[in-house]
Amino acid sequence: MSEVATAKKKRVELLFAAFLLIVGIIVFVDASQLHVTYSQADVVGPKALPYVVSGILILSSIALAITVMRGNLAAGEEGEDVDLSQPSDWKVLLPLIGIFVLNLLIVNWAGWVISGTIMFFGAATCLGARRWVLTLVISLALALGSFYGFYLGLGIKLPAGILSGVL
Amino acid sequence: MGGFAAALTPINLLFAFAGVILGTAVGVLPGIGPAMAVALLLPLTFGMETSSALIMFAGIYYGGMYGGSTTSILLNTPGESATVITAIEGHKMAKAGRAAQALATAAIGSFVAGTIGTALLVTVAPIVVKFAVSLGAPSYFAIMVLALVTVTAVLGSSKIRGFASLGLGLAIGLVGMDPVSGQQRLTFGFAPLVDGMDIVVVAVAIFAIGEALWIAAHLRTSPARTIPVGAPWMGKEDWKRSWKPWLRGTAFGFPFGALPAGGAEVPTFLSYVTEKKLSKHPEEFGHGAIEGVAGPEAANNASAAGTLTPMLALGLPTNATAAVMLAFLTMKGIQPGPLLFENEPDLVWALIASLFIGNTLLLLINLPLAPLWAKLLKIPRPYLYAGILFFATLGAFSVNMQVADLWLLLLIGLLGFALRRFGLPVLPLILGVIIGPMAEEQLRKTFQLSAGEVSGLWSEPLAVGIYVLIAVLLLLPVLISVIRRKRGTASAAAEALLGDDAAGGPEPEQAKPGHGNENSKAAERNES
Amino acid sequence: MTIVVGYIPSPEGEAALERAILEARRSEVRLIVVNSSKGDQLVDDRLIDAKQYHELEARLSDAGIDFWIERHTQGADAADQILHIAQAQRAELIVIGLRKRTAMGKFLMGSNAQRILLQASCPVLSLKASSDW
Repeated sequence: MSEVATAKKKRVELLFAAFLLIVGIIVFVDASQLHVTYSQADVVGPKALPYVVSGILILSSIALAITVMRGNLAAGEEGEDVDLSQPSDWKVLLPLIGIFVLNLLIVNWAGWVISGTIMFFGAATCLGARRWVLTLVISLALALGSFYGFYLGLGIKLPAGILSGVL
Repeated sequence: MGGFAAALTPINLLFAFAGVILGTAVGVLPGIGPAMAVALLLPLTFGMETSSALIMFAGIYYGGMYGGSTTSILLNTPGESATVITAIEGHKMAKAGRAAQALATAAIGSFVAGTIGTALLVTVAPIVVKFAVSLGAPSYFAIMVLALVTVTAVLGSSKIRGFASLGLGLAIGLVGMDPVSGQQRLTFGFAPLVDGMDIVVVAVAIFAIGEALWIAAHLRTSPARTIPVGAPWMGKEDWKRSWKPWLRGTAFGFPFGALPAGGAEVPTFLSYVTEKKLSKHPEEFGHGAIEGVAGPEAANNASAAGTLTPMLALGLPTNATAAVMLAFLTMKGIQPGPLLFENEPDLVWALIASLFIGNTLLLLINLPLAPLWAKLLKIPRPYLYAGILFFATLGAFSVNMQVADLWLLLLIGLLGFALRRFGLPVLPLILGVIIGPMAEEQLRKTFQLSAGEVSGLWSEPLAVGIYVLIAVLLLLPVLISVIRRKRGTASAAAEALLGDDAAGGPEPEQAKPGHGNENSKAAERNES
Repeated sequence: MTIVVGYIPSPEGEAALERAILEARRSEVRLIVVNSSKGDQLVDDRLIDAKQYHELEARLSDAGIDFWIERHTQGADAADQILHIAQAQRAELIVIGLRKRTAMGKFLMGSNAQRILLQASCPVLSLKASSDW
């Protein structure tokens, strides 16, 4: 482990501590802006818990920053299918998030069948699926199946979008 | 016994069956656990009968445990900490060609422990309820604080990160309109947030999206291989060596599960150590001793049954799956807590009856089907994780048909990713979301009763006892380190005050070459 | 010059390997055995484990030929792997096993064999599992 790598690692974790601190401050500011009319029935009021929560967040962010500075760094969560010997793969992650966002942008316009198909196909491709035809067939089957399954089985009507006359 | 009548209707049997199949499948599949499965199914259960859905969840809960032990034995990939111990001896047995026996002792042991555990649940839960009904708001509040503190500070490896996670969870629980004063908290004038964050969205985001993104970023690419197995079976000698560990494991597992601290790690470990000590073949331990599979597996399942005690009797979940199940009850407008037994006896007893049935189904299905489950592991990863994202989106969207929910799903999903990335435990967060609002309610009731006197908090003897316990739990590590320092060992008291686990070592990344690599690359990109 | 054979533990793979050994012995060239998995599954039976590797090694040395085993656990799929090695080694022959597949199956799953046949720049010898006629 080189000094440089550790220093960088520290900086990322400090950023996370800063995030915690910001959330804590937001909770505090939000609570302080609540209007409270004192009543015998509700002595604690709506402010008390938010103050406690912001306290927990701020204190833990400071404590986290201190431990990180002392070199006590986080270990990523292990899992059955997680390979921590590899670096976080942003080339998989960012497109995946992009596809998710694309889906939520077009779901109402294009309808679930189309947006769902695109999402599954895109996600599987990002994750390394290379059998195009098979992937497309699975995507379509899942999207169509869930659309009709929800409609017929649960009575939930997912948006049909531009295909609304067809489906 | 009305419970059995309710649970044995054809439709509920079908749901129990679906539950155990699904549960075993998700237990076997890499990357999916029972908590994620239940979270993903939440949206589907809106139209369902509450008892049917709960019966299915119970099947998933027990089935997931079973599936998890199958993969730890065959592949040495324990999906959760509770099956780590099973993997030690179980995988060694499989390598020595005794996979069938290892699977059999795990399955039958799970059945025995699950059945005894559920029977204990039936006897213990009403007693707890009887005791709990007499408790007032101060004691409840204290119990909830205890549950949060133990889950946060005792179970995790890093206390600071545990508390950070708890704080985030509580903050999420705050969002929405305060039920007493009608004030909006943390909504930022954003209309969809006024009703609070949908627990379905939060659960799906944390368990499904966060996990799927985390796995996607660290996708394993080298395949392992299973050891080919026939149907599980055991010889006479195996039975002889297994039945005592099963019973002892159950005895360890249930009480630990039933405590508000929960957790299956401690009892499985204790069971393993005990079996090693009592065994007539201690030399076999570490090379595939059947006792080392039988005991911990039984302890794991008994603790799962035990966990349901505080959940049903007090409305207090202590593990992720129980937390999501409780969220389901709240979603259905059912008030969890000691009155559950009184208000919804049909539901509770149908659930308990279904636990017995589910356990039996698991044994019947899994003894012959074990080789088939191993086939599930051949699903290509791209399809598996794309599927999780797909169903998570579908589920969260179908709740309200609002695109805003999808944005929340993504944001909280990214938070879930960050939790895993920065080593924050997930459980405190999800318990914070669920228990936070409940605890606030009890806190307010307490002060209402005491007319604003702070002393109201410790107006009940049980509450006092619990606060003392919490103090001991929090201060114990500090005390230990102070004593250690007095003895002259190097550990600094400040380190303990900061709360970080000394066992984790000062420089954990040294143990894992390459891990720092990942972070440094992430850092580079973050900077650019 | 070399011969490249795609090997997986299956009847088709065995048939291909057997024939490849024969060819290598006849023309006295080096045999490269390629066993690969894309590594997108948790469990892949097509990849040989340590025990099978040693058995394979023993079998090839018993056959008295010059050989080399390429075992890839991740990255490219089998067809790419075989084509890449064949090109790099200027192979004179590629030997592969063919499994039965319906037209629909081939449409959905794609066919490694087809890609090798179409893209290879040397002769390709393909075998079916059973040849008992």
